[in-house]
Amino acid sequence: MSLRSFFQWCDSLTIANAIRDSRFLFPIIESIHILALAVLLGTVIVVSMRLLGKGMKQRPVAEVYGELSRLRNWALATMLVTGFLLFSSEAMKCYDNPPFLTKMVLLAIAITFQYTVVRAISGKPDALLGRFQATAVAWGSLVLWFGVGTAGRAIGFY
Amino acid sequence: MPFQVAIFVKAQYLRMSIVEMCQWLQDTSIGTSIRESTWVFPILEGTHLLGIAASVGTLLVMDLRLAGFLFKREPVSQVTKAVMPLSMVGFAVMFITGIFLFWSQAIKAYGSIYFKIKLVLLVLAGINALVFELTMRGKSAAWDRDPVPPFRARMAGITGLILWAGVICAGRTMAYNF
Repeated sequence: MSLRSFFQWCDSLTIANAIRDSRFLFPIIESIHILALAVLLGTVIVVSMRLLGKGMKQRPVAEVYGELSRLRNWALATMLVTGFLLFSSEAMKCYDNPPFLTKMVLLAIAITFQYTVVRAISGKPDALLGRFQATAVAWGSLVLWFGVGTAGRAIGFY
Repeated sequence: MPFQVAIFVKAQYLRMSIVEMCQWLQDTSIGTSIRESTWVFPILEGTHLLGIAASVGTLLVMDLRLAGFLFKREPVSQVTKAVMPLSMVGFAVMFITGIFLFWSQAIKAYGSIYFKIKLVLLVLAGINALVFELTMRGKSAAWDRDPVPPFRARMAGITGLILWAGVICAGRTMAYNF
């Protein structure tokens, strides 16, 4: 299946048609998408700040990361589901939309980075956490996730 | 002039003047240039969105601590100290960009019920925070380390969460014309 026919298939799904035909579904799903974005970015910011040595220093990094795991996973899952629904309702518009393609690439990198590098680094005991790696991971995840958000907002403006 | 008529005329006059003020505001050179620019409006809008995400996302962590759901082993004051500066930066970004967005679209915002709902929810969120600060914060030493804070603190946290979620939904819905 070529990329184009995959987009066409998404575009023709029953749910995609239902969203297009409704005045309310798109705004409702979009609002949920943005609420989940706020939750996800909140967890990313708090963990990054802890990695940078700001706030809740009595708690180990691993505990701050772990405490927010459920919130982070739920927010991300919600974003992926609502995001796919939004996408399906305007899949052909997204097909030649540079911000959308940028967002998908950034998203793939951000998710991979989050669940490999960030998870591994945040799981280490504080004593084994190098200053440089903590700083790099903190800024890396902030830049990636805010990049996803920025590109996402740009889809509608392009 | 009978009293009711006087009130009616007065109300009409007030109503007109708010519309006129909005019209004047968006006709200023700043309002017009934001509206007509290819880049400025989207950049303001994107920054506004990320500012909201940063402020509400971090506020969420504090509200969940107040509600007794997260970081139960960390004192409330420590979570607040970690989170508040970020919430405030995000809030400032959101407030400043929000003013410019309104400046360029004042008439549309004035006519939008969702904008009014958003303003009311913002005021309620402010009142909720203020009431908490005035009635609970002074006594917070007594329950700072409680895994689950007292009822009123929990309610303040949960109310804050609901109000901010409402602000986001109303704000997003403003962009659509039903």
